[in-house]
Amino acid sequence: MSKLVSTENKKTDNRSDKIKLYSIGAVVILIGILVIVNVLFEKILGKALTFDFSASLSNTLSQDTIDYLDSLPSDTKIQITGLFEKPSNISGTRYQYIIPLLDDYVRSGKGKISVEYVDAKTHPNIISQLDPTGSYDLANNLDSFVIKYNDKIKLVSPYDCYSYDNDYLSQGYYYVVGNNTEYTFTNSMFILTQGYSCKAYVITGLNDDPNTSLKNILEGMAIEYNELAVAENFVIPEDCDLLILNGPDSDISEKMLVAMTQYMKNNGKLLVSVNYNINNTGEEFFRLNKLLNEMNINIDPALITENDPWHQLGGYTTDTSVNTVGAFVDYVQTGALHSTFARSVREVDTPAPSISVYPVLVTSENAATVGVDKNGNEIAGTYVSEKQFNVCMFAAGEGEDPAKAFVFGTTNFTSDEYITSYGLNDSNVTFIKSCIRELTSTKMVTVLDIATKNVDNFSLTPEKATASAATAILVIFMIAIPVILVAAGIIVYTKRKNL
Amino acid sequence: MTAIFKREFLSYFRSPVGYVAIALFSFLSGFVFYTQFATGVVDIAGEVISLRSFFFVIVPIITMGLLSEDKKRGTDVLYYTTPINLFNVIIGKVLAAFCLYVIMFINVIIHIIVTVNCGGVVGVGAIGTIIVFFFMAFMFISIGLFASAITDNQIISAIVSFVLILITQILGTIGDYLGSAFTSMFSGINTKIAGTVGSAISSAINWLDPFVKTQDFRLGIFSVSSLVFLVSVGILFLYLTFRVLDKKRWSQA
Repeated sequence: MSKLVSTENKKTDNRSDKIKLYSIGAVVILIGILVIVNVLFEKILGKALTFDFSASLSNTLSQDTIDYLDSLPSDTKIQITGLFEKPSNISGTRYQYIIPLLDDYVRSGKGKISVEYVDAKTHPNIISQLDPTGSYDLANNLDSFVIKYNDKIKLVSPYDCYSYDNDYLSQGYYYVVGNNTEYTFTNSMFILTQGYSCKAYVITGLNDDPNTSLKNILEGMAIEYNELAVAENFVIPEDCDLLILNGPDSDISEKMLVAMTQYMKNNGKLLVSVNYNINNTGEEFFRLNKLLNEMNINIDPALITENDPWHQLGGYTTDTSVNTVGAFVDYVQTGALHSTFARSVREVDTPAPSISVYPVLVTSENAATVGVDKNGNEIAGTYVSEKQFNVCMFAAGEGEDPAKAFVFGTTNFTSDEYITSYGLNDSNVTFIKSCIRELTSTKMVTVLDIATKNVDNFSLTPEKATASAATAILVIFMIAIPVILVAAGIIVYTKRKNL
Repeated sequence: MTAIFKREFLSYFRSPVGYVAIALFSFLSGFVFYTQFATGVVDIAGEVISLRSFFFVIVPIITMGLLSEDKKRGTDVLYYTTPINLFNVIIGKVLAAFCLYVIMFINVIIHIIVTVNCGGVVGVGAIGTIIVFFFMAFMFISIGLFASAITDNQIISAIVSFVLILITQILGTIGDYLGSAFTSMFSGINTKIAGTVGSAISSAINWLDPFVKTQDFRLGIFSVSSLVFLVSVGILFLYLTFRVLDKKRWSQA
């Protein structure tokens, strides 16, 4: 009986069932079509129909990197591992320029580069897999990336991928002024695959300033950066290809003088940069000059002041543009470079004939020098004017691989303070790279001379974005307009409620 | 379609709904703009992204009555008994809601003008997020319209669209939780397989997340496939709405 009733109902609802079946079938088919279309679109046309319209193509690899990746053998395997879970929202985070660019590395690497994200907190084994000897302290760098090639690894922190305004940095704030993501990653890969071309030792302990920018520049040129601390038994390692003394506030010790003099006698390569700052105004660098005198160069205890308004920057006599001269004009496209609080560098009065000295950077013909005491006051009778002074000089010995030295009277070419403010694309940086190439004969670096990319700056003009303007915005957009609209809504409702 | 569009669009301003929706949008966008302006840094892309978070509040308000109101009044019978294409009805209603969104967006355009006048920059990322904003508006309005089609009660319609849009907005979190939950539950059996399946579940759900798909627009990366995805979801819900109406048309017949 119940079966008969059921059959009757089925006949009655036959049409409704067919419609339902048709509806479900049609929706399922549509979902299938849409999923297939989306998957195919993403996999086949996804890359071709993705466009990077960012101002400095910050999410796309430059031709230099693509050429480098293409030059790698086809069986090269470079593995990049983020030691964290891939963030689902990167907007406004320090990864916002990194993760999209890594995706482009994978696309442009043609199978040579792989990128993965493994949360080391939940998968701690990844640390021992990547760094079996534990020499990179990965456990304390869980926001970083590890680049692995064969058995060699390199750690890249997201902080390495940007340059920061040094003024803010000194107050503990990271105010990003440049995007070096591609520079950092490509050069890290380059160093892993090609190896360092030579070793540079930077003397530390004569000032408090870090050498982060100099390190980035050197490693970007495939030069291994090492620090050589001032110590009782100061010894320059035998594998030192380049010795750098960056912005000392005090003179070198007697032991250092002996070691460095011996190093130069053995055809060493030296880069010295000094300046005038609050910590070294009274410093005459007696022993350093003794060393440099062997190379026919002397740093005078005199601050350069520029009288030519065309050379003054912002009207300051100590913040000036200096000109490249002689063969050094080819080192950089612009002929004028930036010098601040510079000491005068000159040839010694009785030069040794075996050493040739060349001016590299000079002031205008109307510059002056003035002696400054420990308190920063002018020393009476030390003013020397109406003359061209050298801000940088180059000295070279004789022979096939002679001793060479660049001596800068300003630290604008090597200091973090300057480079973090002006970025790695600044002409001063380009110039110092050329000087380092001259000293080390490093030729391979030109392939990877990757430009710093811009970061977005959404700051308003302070004169216009005032507190009263902000208040006006608050009143207009959050109070006046909503209240007027709600009032209009109430009026409309009242008038039409009985219609 | 034009008649339906005209009627629906004007109905927003013949009732308090349109005014309240625009007032709410103005307040929220004004709040976001003011907080940025007060710090001296205005990122229009950031503002538009913040406004996308309020879809789940605004869309239900403007879509709840689109079809449920007709059902309640019984005027929906006209759609079924007159020789009118139901797709035209749906498109007309979606367009009306979409145009209301465009009117709301005038607030942001004023913010852009203020920003530029105050020396700020409207980067390519802002243009990208604005494009995504309108594609998402279409998608969420479609979802809201579907919610309105399945009931004759505006409140239920609003709640359904609220829940559906909220789920879409927290899809990434849901995916992560489900993936982790699966991994934890089955790690006792086989850790490696459980981990692989867990991350596959997480990835599959994240693939459906429209916010993750379109986040690169803010960085100036324009991906057509992401926009195709948003349009696809919109079309799917429009078709679902059509099926609901079509089923009722034939049931009535």
